[in-house]
Amino acid sequence: MKRMNDGITIAALVLLCLSALPTPAAAAAEDIPDPVALLRHVDGNELYDTISYTGEMIIEYKGKRFVKEFKAFGRENRDTFIEFTNSEDAGTKYLKKDGRLFVYSPDTEQVMPISGHMLKESMMGSDLSYEDAIENEGLAKRYVPTISGSDSFDGREVWVLDLAAIKKTESYPRQRLLVAKDTLDVLHYDLFALSGARLKEYNLIRVEPIGVRRFPVESEMRDLLRKGSRTLFRLGNVEIDKPIADSVFSTRNLK
Amino acid sequence: MKGIRNAVGGASALTTIAWRNIWRNRRRTTLCIVAVGVAVFFNVFMQSWMDGMFKGVEEVVRTYDTGHVIATSKRFEAEQEYLPVQFPLAEGRSAEELVSLAESVRGVKAALPRIVAYASLFDSTKKHARLWGVDLARELAQNDFNVAARSDGLVVGRFPEPGKNECAIGTVMARKAGLAVGDSIPLKTVSAQFSDKYWNPLVVGIFEFDYRRFDEDTIIVPIDRLQRILGLAQGTQQLVVYADDERDSTEIRNGLRALLGEDAFVREWSDNYWVAMFRSMSGIYTVVYAVFLIVASFLIVNTMLMVIHERIKEIGMMGALGMSRREIVAVFFLEAVFLSLLGAAAGALVGGVASFFGSRFPIDMEVFTGGGMKDFPISGTLYLDFSPWTVCFGFLFGVVVSSLCTLVPSLKSAFVEPVEALRR
Repeated sequence: MKRMNDGITIAALVLLCLSALPTPAAAAAEDIPDPVALLRHVDGNELYDTISYTGEMIIEYKGKRFVKEFKAFGRENRDTFIEFTNSEDAGTKYLKKDGRLFVYSPDTEQVMPISGHMLKESMMGSDLSYEDAIENEGLAKRYVPTISGSDSFDGREVWVLDLAAIKKTESYPRQRLLVAKDTLDVLHYDLFALSGARLKEYNLIRVEPIGVRRFPVESEMRDLLRKGSRTLFRLGNVEIDKPIADSVFSTRNLK
Repeated sequence: MKGIRNAVGGASALTTIAWRNIWRNRRRTTLCIVAVGVAVFFNVFMQSWMDGMFKGVEEVVRTYDTGHVIATSKRFEAEQEYLPVQFPLAEGRSAEELVSLAESVRGVKAALPRIVAYASLFDSTKKHARLWGVDLARELAQNDFNVAARSDGLVVGRFPEPGKNECAIGTVMARKAGLAVGDSIPLKTVSAQFSDKYWNPLVVGIFEFDYRRFDEDTIIVPIDRLQRILGLAQGTQQLVVYADDERDSTEIRNGLRALLGEDAFVREWSDNYWVAMFRSMSGIYTVVYAVFLIVASFLIVNTMLMVIHERIKEIGMMGALGMSRREIVAVFFLEAVFLSLLGAAAGALVGGVASFFGSRFPIDMEVFTGGGMKDFPISGTLYLDFSPWTVCFGFLFGVVVSSLCTLVPSLKSAFVEPVEALRR
């Protein structure tokens, strides 16, 4: 009887000690960040009041390589101005203003609006569409994020952040971001169609600290519907939140 | 019986008997003739229709796509569904040089440079089109663009002139996009350097080629203008070669391959997907015709079986009077042959007349396709191919197949025992 009582006491003590230890699930749950906060942090790295930079867009397609050079100016999400400076495209300018996109072509010497189905076309033969290029509204406003777990990418630990579009009219109803746990850089993301087909993928190559931001200055985009194609982006002379004259974003500047 | 046999010879007598027998029941005879006639008519008419379609497809393919021989680069051929302009033929060599080279090959009548590229239109109703950059003077010297009407296909205005910012569009595109001569078409295309090229050519002409893919989707532009816009310098994407005699196509193809080098992809018009498909299907159609005839012949088979059953006493009488089994079988077989002959003759005659009219008065294919088969290389109007050989073949085919089908039931009459037959 005494031995039985002693046994019960020991078992109860053991159980008490075990219950004080944190469970693996509980331990993991503590480390998982809030997906909305994570997404806002991701947005924060790439949102600005103004931005200007010079850029290179290197299109590789079926063994051929084309280099497009340009100057770009941006103002919040509203306005963007891009002028191509490489010899084949010199003088071609794009202006996004008031939700509309315009192009000036030296071949026609005319300003033409790009809208509707044209926005989904490839920009300058790259893996980016016009829509992709001009969209700058934060992901947090357009998507509902969930963290579906951890993974590793290129030897780095990442959070897998799944995004579901809030509006049905969103170009990419689903996105999957791989966010580095240490730096919270978006190392890779996939863009999906409504059917679940993977349409495009993005890979980060290099970031630069600009102020409090970690700004992606070298990256790669692949249009998976185009075999053997990828586009590299290299940004230089990046200046963020410096004043830019309003005239830069006027249609007169197109001509 | 002996008298008949002696008077007119065995075979002749049997023939006479068979001929008279088939008119003993006119209704039944008419039905058999009609059945075979319908099958043979179908055979002759459909053969003419298919031959007309084959010829139409071949002509369209040769006029708009391949000529007799077509040369492109291998990398273009690998991506041809996208019509890439990044892989010109014999990069670095001008179109004129390539034309001279091709025309130096024995048997070549003409070599035409062409550039075909996709364009996005700024219009919201008609979103995309194909640019067809051609040397119009050369093209019109070689081809009738409206294959059915044997004309250049121009309905309004004129074709664009070399070096000018002009274009011509099809009637269907003009209607859908609400365009007329004097309007501009703002469009975007992608150059050989992957640059977005914006262009606003002026519509100077509207055409009707009676080929949906062109009338709805194609904008004809001068090749030199398109070369400049696409950054191809003087180069070309395709070289379409026409022969004096199409039978020389293989020799010309080999000659061009030797001249253009390993990077060029040179093929004959008969390698075109649609042409090859139609040619492979001709055997299938013969089988289909045979099946129709066999089905129609079942009526004669059934009739023969009924006749033998009904005339079993008569068969017994014939046997009792000294006709051999072979002669009895011959009588019934000849009856069946006469039915086949008359039916096949009627069917061939009607089918031949219908084919003849179809070769003179075209059929509007859009009634059947609704204009939906744009990728199918055929004109909107179809001329049947009338051929006396088709009529004769249809007649003979009908007689032979129907007669053969009735051979077995005719043999049934040989196994009727005269004594048993007469007792019934």
